[in-house]
Amino acid sequence: MKKLLGIAALLAGVAIATQAFAAGDKIREITLTTRPQAAQPQEFQFVQLIAQEWRKLGLDVKVDVMPWEQMADLVWYNRDKWDTTGWQMVGRPERSDPDELIYNLFHSSTAPKGYNFIGYNNPELDATVEAQRMETDPAKRRELLHKAQSILAEDQPNLMLVHPKSTFAFDKNVWDPATVIDQGGIGIKNTWTFISMQPLGEQKDIILNSSDNIQAINPLFISGGTDSWITELVWDRLLRIGPDGLPQPWAAESYEWLDDKTIALTLRDGMKWHDGQPVTVDDVKFSFEAAMGDEAPMYKPFVGNIEAIETDGNKVTFKLKNATAAFLTASLSKLNIIPKHVWEPVLADLGTKDENAEDFQEPAPIGSGPYKFTSWTTNEEVVLTANEDHFSPPKADRWILRIVPNTEAAIGMLRSGEINFLADFSGDPKILLDLVEQDGDLEVVSTIDMGFRYVAFNHRRPPFNDPEFRKALSYAINRDLIVGAAFRGYAVKSNSVISPALGFWHNQDVNEFKTGADVAKSILENAGYTVDGGALHYPDGVKETLAQ
Amino acid sequence: MFRLMPTNPLAAYIDPTFTEEQQLALMAKFGLDRPLWEQYFIYLKNLLQGELGDSFFYRQPVGERVLELLPNTLILTFSSLIIAYAFGIIVGAWLAWKRDSIAERTAIPLVLTTRAMPEFWLGMLLLAVFSFSLGWFPAGGTRSPGSEYSGYFDLYTSRDFLVHLVLPAATLAIYSQGLPLLLMRSNMLEVMNEDFVTMARIKGLSNWTVVVRHAARNALLPVMTSFAIAVGYQIQGNVVVETVFSWPGLGRELVNAVSASDYPLAQGAFLMIAVVVVLMNLLADLLYNLLDPRVSHA
Amino acid sequence: MHSDIAGETRAEPGFVGRFLARIHLPLDDPFAVVGLIIYAIFIAMAIFADQLATHDPLEILFTSDYQLAADRRPGQDGFILGTTSLGRDIYSQLIYGSRSALLIGITAAFMVAVIGTVVGLLAGYFRGWIDIVLMRAADIAFGIPFLPFVIVLSAFLEPSIWNVVFAMAMILWRDTGRVIRSQVLTLRTRAYIDAARVAGSSDLKIVFRHIAPNILPLSFLYGTIAIGWAILTEAAISFLGFGDPETISWGYMLQDAYASQALSTGGYYWFVPPGICIVLVVVAGFFISRGYEEILFPKLKE
Repeated sequence: MKKLLGIAALLAGVAIATQAFAAGDKIREITLTTRPQAAQPQEFQFVQLIAQEWRKLGLDVKVDVMPWEQMADLVWYNRDKWDTTGWQMVGRPERSDPDELIYNLFHSSTAPKGYNFIGYNNPELDATVEAQRMETDPAKRRELLHKAQSILAEDQPNLMLVHPKSTFAFDKNVWDPATVIDQGGIGIKNTWTFISMQPLGEQKDIILNSSDNIQAINPLFISGGTDSWITELVWDRLLRIGPDGLPQPWAAESYEWLDDKTIALTLRDGMKWHDGQPVTVDDVKFSFEAAMGDEAPMYKPFVGNIEAIETDGNKVTFKLKNATAAFLTASLSKLNIIPKHVWEPVLADLGTKDENAEDFQEPAPIGSGPYKFTSWTTNEEVVLTANEDHFSPPKADRWILRIVPNTEAAIGMLRSGEINFLADFSGDPKILLDLVEQDGDLEVVSTIDMGFRYVAFNHRRPPFNDPEFRKALSYAINRDLIVGAAFRGYAVKSNSVISPALGFWHNQDVNEFKTGADVAKSILENAGYTVDGGALHYPDGVKETLAQ
Repeated sequence: MFRLMPTNPLAAYIDPTFTEEQQLALMAKFGLDRPLWEQYFIYLKNLLQGELGDSFFYRQPVGERVLELLPNTLILTFSSLIIAYAFGIIVGAWLAWKRDSIAERTAIPLVLTTRAMPEFWLGMLLLAVFSFSLGWFPAGGTRSPGSEYSGYFDLYTSRDFLVHLVLPAATLAIYSQGLPLLLMRSNMLEVMNEDFVTMARIKGLSNWTVVVRHAARNALLPVMTSFAIAVGYQIQGNVVVETVFSWPGLGRELVNAVSASDYPLAQGAFLMIAVVVVLMNLLADLLYNLLDPRVSHA
Repeated sequence: MHSDIAGETRAEPGFVGRFLARIHLPLDDPFAVVGLIIYAIFIAMAIFADQLATHDPLEILFTSDYQLAADRRPGQDGFILGTTSLGRDIYSQLIYGSRSALLIGITAAFMVAVIGTVVGLLAGYFRGWIDIVLMRAADIAFGIPFLPFVIVLSAFLEPSIWNVVFAMAMILWRDTGRVIRSQVLTLRTRAYIDAARVAGSSDLKIVFRHIAPNILPLSFLYGTIAIGWAILTEAAISFLGFGDPETISWGYMLQDAYASQALSTGGYYWFVPPGICIVLVVVAGFFISRGYEEILFPKLKE
């Protein structure tokens, strides 16, 4: 009897205690996903640091380590199954226009299947990014983009961390450093460098490394990252993104907006395909129509806005369905111009089969670009030769890409001269700088990337649907610590998906905020979250619906 | 069985511009929209017809790629083993002759140690010393940048190729000389006790003549049959060395394919390696029966 | 369990004592004794890892002014072997690495020895269809390339150190199985087996009482070799990036050092010690197995 009474009293006590201390349920164990240290040392490191900080707020954080394929599968194809994850976006020339990132990452239309995998939904942001897309006046567009960045800073849909610096190196006894071009947000590994780099001595071949194999050399297939270095050199485009990040005339010698939905371009005279045939406006029209058809699905989204293409003499006119500011960057600077005489029969043949243009590998690809294709040895190297007849002929003789999966070997090769341009380096930039000191032949260049690293919150899963909660988690992290301890100083702090490398569009105001555990705790407290027995609880009346 | 891998192979293609339509088209293209058993059945059917399918990643026939890389792997395997066997047989015979000498006492643990080193670790050390520090040999690949050869024969007989072959072949040879060496030594010890060797000694032949003329010849047979088995073992160990020395071979292809969830290619590379292993086991059995009439298989 | 297999002599009689007597520890062979001593040292290291290590091997270390304590040279700031480029203590990782090495090595060896012995016993003693089925299975296992198989397996399963053990259990029993089978084939014709049979002993009793004890040293020989195989395979798998990211092993350390370009930066204090540990443990296994060979095949010794 006594025993029973005791238990009853105990139960009552527990009930009272729960009522008195915890308003809502205890927040479940939160998972934070990252790739392994071997593959992504910086990400692995910042995730460990962030988990440590979050635990100080009373959260139970589990770090889940998995390889990229598994992580991509979880985050992309199982959108309601994860809590938070380390993620990265890489810089590419076409991303010099902010539209691609700010629209695709945050517009609610891309939440179910597209790149808004976090499930962010804010009608005001939707309206703003739609408006900037239509706005062709740069000043007004900038205002809209600044507004979008402020909205995002207020909502903290992600925990933005840093824009890393991309670091490359070359042998300055072989190449004149003054002729190496640093493209904003991209670094010195770019088409402009490969065209203008001036040899100083006997060695006139650019020999560079990549750790990834070549997937395809195909102007109608957006394949691996390394492949794009080759396609950019072998094929021309109407416009090209300049070192300043803005599109400039290339195969088109000039362009003119006739109205906000019509643009006319004049093709440069005297261009020739690598097989000697002339490049004509018909080829240009054919190239865009190939992408608009069904045989090149990866390029299709970039031409979806084209209503009609007309040719007249050496002029091409594009009529658009909707006015868009990004057309120059995202379409005209993106599509490769391909020879109609090569591809017309190929596409006609593919039209009768299951396969599409992505499955077709030309034995010897034909383009019109500054370098001609010479040879490709599987998993070993690709050799391109300078096209002397090009309107912007390269100073080098050949461009030789070596596949070197071993980073340590790549560094050794750079020192011994087996390669003379380090184009792919995933290690610690400081190592390269130390090498420069030992070995006076090298020059190392670091550039702020337009890509960025962040931790994504899954808005589909409470409590990450609460902006205050996200803000607290974000402000808990001292970005200086991340820059120092994960990136060893080779990064700049970031609070916007538009990199400071894109100076014109970047909103400097969003970078001002205070961080630290105290800041985070007071945000949580004001939003009604409580700490009980060291564990963080939801505000009054909120239940945990996702506990295992 | 490769279809059971846990991740979606399309995960490798994620890009902001990747629309739902494209995803579905890709799934349909590789037959991933069908049930697993059906996918596997189709694969088996194709395999029986000699078709390995298309690589997800390269969009090219798996068979072509695998056959293109096979010669690079074979030449590395065979050249390293030939060095290992030549060295192992000579030194093994010598050690048997020098039994219980100081040389033998120090050599045996040394040989065992070479077999205990992780191959990539040894490879990295050789790379650091002979390529990075001394600059004697190139750090990777099968040829100098931009060099052209008309075919495998032209390439494999060039000086350029041999210079590139030295370090990876040495790494593998150092690792694999232990087996022929120890085998040769123990066979020698066994043979040297047999009657005909004793007879030869009694006849007054010098020790070394006995070793070479009589004992070595008889001890050699089992060592030679182990060669075929060693090829089978070596070809799988290549995976690691090919990665260290940027060698374009089958092993590296397998590793890349598995990392990229490119099942058809992974399966093709695995199958090709397995075929070599099985053929070599078979050859070893045949040789064994042929060379040693005492053995008959039950 | 660990210490039994590795042959550390515990002074209790009864089962363990009998067991040790049966497996014939090659204590009169100097090499084998060296091997046993190396094992003993690493086993002690694994058992007392918590006491020996100075830090948590995965903890990110900071200096007093909140800077990352990375790339410390041996001895600097009190780190015995320095720190990794992400600020982890190398010495502590080395100590904890012995745990996974022994765990993988000994379980793998145990699996290989047990499966191989059972297969060899069954096939060799019963002959007939059991023999045919088991030996065909061994043929198939011989046709499967081992390291590629482990790589493929790691792609199926979550990255874990147990993948290596699992793969070894599935494939490497083949060598042990074949050798033991042929040994059993000779044993079963011996007179005392016939005597036992005539005396009415059951098959099971004959196999386990009369045959098994005689092949135990042979199982052990293959077991000790398997320890080395397991540790080397784990290192290779880690190096190729399919390793377990959350368990510290020597293979993990080598991969970490390699991915951080320790060679280019002259970080030999990081790259060399785990390699030496691997070599020592593997070579110890070889030494012991050599001792066994000399017991088993005395002609070599003579």
